[in-house]
Amino acid sequence: MPLLNVSPVDRLYETLPNLDDINIPARAPQPDGETEDTQAIAAAFGNRILAAGLQHDLPFVHVAPADLRDLVIWLRDGDLAYTTLIDITSVDLSELPDPDPDVRFQTVYLLRSLSRHKALFIVCPLPGGDDAEAPSLAGQFPGAIWPEREVMDLMGIRFADHPDPRRILMPAAWPNHPLRKDVPLGGEDVPFSLTWDHPEFDGLGDQILDPESLPPDLPPGMNRQNMILNMGPHHPSTHGVLRLVVELDGERVVNVDPDLGYLHSGFEKTGEHRRYKDFVYYTDRMDYLSAMNNNLGYVLAVEGMLDLEIPARAQAIRVIMSEMQRIASHLFWLSTHVLDISGNGMSLLMYATRERERILDLFEMVCGARLTTSYIRIGGVWQDLPEAFLGALSEFCDLFPGRIDEYRDLVKDSPIWRTRLEGIGMVGREDALAMGLTGPMLRGSGVDWDLRRDQPYSGYEQYEFDVPTSDRGDGFGRYEIRMEEMRQSVRIIRQALDRLPDGLYRSDDRKVNPPPRTELDVSMESLIHHFKLFTEGFKVPPGMYYHGIEASKGELGFFIYSDGSGKPYRLHVRGPSFNNLYAIGGMSRGLMLSDIITNIGSIDIVLGEVDR
Amino acid sequence: MGLESNLKEGSLVTARLEDLVNWARRNSTWPLLFGLACCAMEMIAAGTARHDIARYGSELFRATPRQADLIIVSGRVSNKMAPVIRRLHDQMLEPKWVIAMGICASAGGPFNNYAIVQGVDKIIPVDVYVPGCPPRPEALLYGMELLRQKQTGEHFSKYVFTPEQPGVPAEAEQAMTGLAPRIG
Ligand code: SF4
Repeated sequence: MPLLNVSPVDRLYETLPNLDDINIPARAPQPDGETEDTQAIAAAFGNRILAAGLQHDLPFVHVAPADLRDLVIWLRDGDLAYTTLIDITSVDLSELPDPDPDVRFQTVYLLRSLSRHKALFIVCPLPGGDDAEAPSLAGQFPGAIWPEREVMDLMGIRFADHPDPRRILMPAAWPNHPLRKDVPLGGEDVPFSLTWDHPEFDGLGDQILDPESLPPDLPPGMNRQNMILNMGPHHPSTHGVLRLVVELDGERVVNVDPDLGYLHSGFEKTGEHRRYKDFVYYTDRMDYLSAMNNNLGYVLAVEGMLDLEIPARAQAIRVIMSEMQRIASHLFWLSTHVLDISGNGMSLLMYATRERERILDLFEMVCGARLTTSYIRIGGVWQDLPEAFLGALSEFCDLFPGRIDEYRDLVKDSPIWRTRLEGIGMVGREDALAMGLTGPMLRGSGVDWDLRRDQPYSGYEQYEFDVPTSDRGDGFGRYEIRMEEMRQSVRIIRQALDRLPDGLYRSDDRKVNPPPRTELDVSMESLIHHFKLFTEGFKVPPGMYYHGIEASKGELGFFIYSDGSGKPYRLHVRGPSFNNLYAIGGMSRGLMLSDIITNIGSIDIVLGEVDR
Repeated sequence: MGLESNLKEGSLVTARLEDLVNWARRNSTWPLLFGLACCAMEMIAAGTARHDIARYGSELFRATPRQADLIIVSGRVSNKMAPVIRRLHDQMLEPKWVIAMGICASAGGPFNNYAIVQGVDKIIPVDVYVPGCPPRPEALLYGMELLRQKQTGEHFSKYVFTPEQPGVPAEAEQAMTGLAPRIG
C-alpha cells in the first residue's frame, strides 16, 4: 500500500550525544499501595487479579481477559456500585523496553461510581501478539459499543462477541490501524526547494486515498423493505460533517446509523509525536467551541503526572476562563438549536452571537485569539489578565443574566419550540448511566452528577453553585438545564472575580515553565533551563494517568501513558460528544425524521471532538 | 448615491455585457452552506450581525451545491471527506469559485499526518487562500474582496462550450481527475 511510505523524510541534524537517563524509556510501573476498593476486589477475586494498587494516586486493577467480564459485573452489581463505564482505550506496548512478543496490547477501562464518587481503572493485558482479542463489554454496558469499535479501528484489537464489528472512524478500505506503533505518523514533508522538479516533490499528494465510488453497505439491522435515507456528511443541520444512514417507515424512524470519521484528524497519533507542552495548541482544535475547557483538561492531566503545584491566582483565572467558555459554547448551542428547530429563525442566532462575540472579545483581550486560545498552559496560564479585563468582564456579568431572560422569552412559550422538544428525544435514567452519557445529557435524565462539584479540580470546591437537573429526560429538559447552567456560570465567575487572589499566574517551577525574558540576561541557569525546555521539553515520570473535567458537553478526559520521555507514549482523548452521540439511535427510534435534527442539536455535538 | 441618483427617467446606460455580468456575479456570490471544522465557526461569525457578510451580497448560504457559486473550504479535509468535497465541487455549476479558508485547507496546517489531506488544492482548484488558524471573519471578508477583484476580470470564453472542444471522454476525465466514474 502506498500509504505506508509517505511519512516525512527524517532530516539529520547534528546533536549532542544523548544524555538521557538510561532508564528512559520505561514501562509504567506496577501499581503499589492499596485503597479500600482494591482491597475489596483483591479479597473477592484472590489471585485472579494480576496486580492492584495505586499509580499516580489513581486506583488500577490488572486482570486477565478471561476474568474481565466477571470483574466488571461484580463491580457493577456489588456494593462498590461502579455503575458507569466512562471510557475504553488501549495501549500498544511494542516499543517499550522488554517487549513481550505475546502481550503486545493492553486495553484500559475506566469505571465510575457516581454514588460513591470514585473512579477505577482496569488494565487488561491481551495475549495473542499482533492479533489480540479482548472480551467485549457491550452486553454489560451499551456505552462500550462505540469505544470498542474505536479501539478496533485505530488499534486493531478484536473484540469477541461484539455486536457491530465495523470500522468507526477510518474509511472502510483503510490499509492499516493508525495508532499501532509500527504505522508511521504519515503526512508530507514540503521540501525546502525552489524548483518544482525537485525529486522531493514527487511524493506530494500521495497520501490521498484513491476515491472509490462503491455502493454503500447497508448498516447491519436495516431492512431494504423500508426506505433508506442518507443524511450528510454535507447537510445543513448535522452540525458538521456527520453522516447518518436513516431507515424510515413512511416518515417514522426505524433505525439510525451514524457514520463518523469525516473529520478524523489523527489527534491522538499526533500527540504521541509532540512534546507535552506542544500538544496544548492541538487541544483547541478538538472541541473548537470550547478551547479553554480542552486546554484545561489536558494541562490538568499533565500536571497531575508531574505533581505540579498551581498558584491560586492561576487556578482562579482558569475557572473564570472555563466558565466563560461554557457560556460561549451554550450560546452557540442555543442559536443553532433554535435555527434547526424553527427552520429559519435567524433572530436568536443574531442575538446570541452578539453576547458570544463579547466573550470572544474578552478572550482576545487576554490571549489575542478568539477561538483557538491556547491560553491555559502547563503550570498556569500564558500571561496575566490585562488591566481592562476585570472591568469588562464584570460589566458582562451584570448584563448577561438579563439577556438570558430575553432568550428565554423568545423561545419558551413558542408553540413550535414546545411541541418539537417536549417528549422528544427521551433518555431514561438507567439508559443514560448504561450508555456512559455525561454532561447535560446525563443531568437531563435526572442524574445529579457534575465533576466540578463531585470531584472538584482547579479549586472549584471554593465556589458556590447549583447543578441543575431535570427528570423530564427530553429535549426540553436539556434546554432548561443549559439555560440554567449559563446563569450558574455567571455566578461562579462573579465569585471568582470578587476573590481573585494576587500572586503568580504561572508556576515558577523552571523545569516546566520558561523563565521570564529578563532573567535570561543575568542568569546562566535560567538560560540553560530555557534552552532545555525549548529543545527537548520536560520529562514526565512513567505511568498511566487520566484526568476528566466537566466541559460544556460532558466529561472531557485525557488518558496519558508516559514512558518517562518528553513525549506521551500514548495519548487518548475521551470526548464527551463521541459518547453522547451514541444515544442518537435510542432517542430517535419511533419519532419523525425531522426529530433526528432536533436530537442532534439537543445532544450538542462538535464533530471535531467526535472524530478527533 | 449610486448610479440611480444621477440618472434621469428613461435614461440609457451602455456597458459591455461581460462587465455587467461580472458586476452582478461579484455582488451576489452565494456560498455553499458547508462547514468542516474550527474555521467554520469563524465563517458563521462572518455571517452574523457584527461582521455582516450581507454587505457584500454573500449572506445567502445555499445548502445545495447546485445553487451555490462559491465553496468556502473552512477547515481540515480528511481522507474520508476528500471525495465528498470533490463531488460537491463537481456538482456546482460554472462559474464557480473556491476559497481555502485557514491553513488546514490551504496546506494541511498543524495536521501533517495520515488523516488529513495536505491542502484542498490537491483535489479541487483554489482561487483564494485565506491564511490564519482560524482566519478572523475580517480576513475572510478580505479574501472575498480579493475574489471579487478576480471576478471582475473574468471572460465569458472561459465558460462557453464550443463544439471545437470535443467533450472529454470518460477515461480521459478519469485520468485527469483520478476519480472513478460514478456508479448508478
Ligand atoms: S486552520 Fe486552524 S482553525 Fe482552521 S480548521 Fe485548521 S486547525 Fe481549525
